[in-house]
Amino acid sequence: MAKPPFTNDIRTLRFLAGEMTQGDLGDRVGVTRQTIAAIEQGKYSPSLEVAFRIARVFGKPLEAVFQWDDAGD
Amino acid sequence: MNFREKTAWLNVLAMVAAYCVYFGLLLSGHPAGREVFPMLWLFGSIAVAHAVTVIVGTVILSAQAPKSERARADERDRAIRRRGAATAYYVLLVGMMVVGVYLPFVESGVPLANMGLFAIVAAELVNSIVVLMSYRRGWHG
Repeated sequence: MAKPPFTNDIRTLRFLAGEMTQGDLGDRVGVTRQTIAAIEQGKYSPSLEVAFRIARVFGKPLEAVFQWDDAGD
Repeated sequence: MNFREKTAWLNVLAMVAAYCVYFGLLLSGHPAGREVFPMLWLFGSIAVAHAVTVIVGTVILSAQAPKSERARADERDRAIRRRGAATAYYVLLVGMMVVGVYLPFVESGVPLANMGLFAIVAAELVNSIVVLMSYRRGWHG
């Protein structure tokens, strides 16, 4: 499965948010822990709605969480 | 491996076991391959055994799974299910074209019904395998 052409900093942001667990983030966003893990590993591209929800949990703009990867374009 | 992956594995294994027995018996000359009532009895027994296995297995798996894993399917689960169903649709379409358009000219009755059954089983198997692969290797929806 090809990686999506963007990366994310969810793992780092969870760490900075007091070691928030994948399960906690999933609960706050409305997806399962496995889906958060898949997004972090680049195995799943979230919908725009879930991407915005994740960014809102961390109080960051979308582009601070997800970055377009020119090398993967 | 999460709860949904485990149930997909359960579906695959139960289906392979049940229908290997069914089609194996047909290939070895069981009357279910030629006559209506033996076919209905054999198919009925296999289908009930398959259903009971899946139901009991699912109950055991959900009793063992943490509550968080038994939560409602989210957008990734739904995307993966759609991918499995879309792929299986083409298998079923080809199978039904063969069974409904070509085979009536060369077969009839029970063998035709068994071919149709084979197409359905193959499509369902493809569905479950695609779901499993998508969970394992990732799917971007």
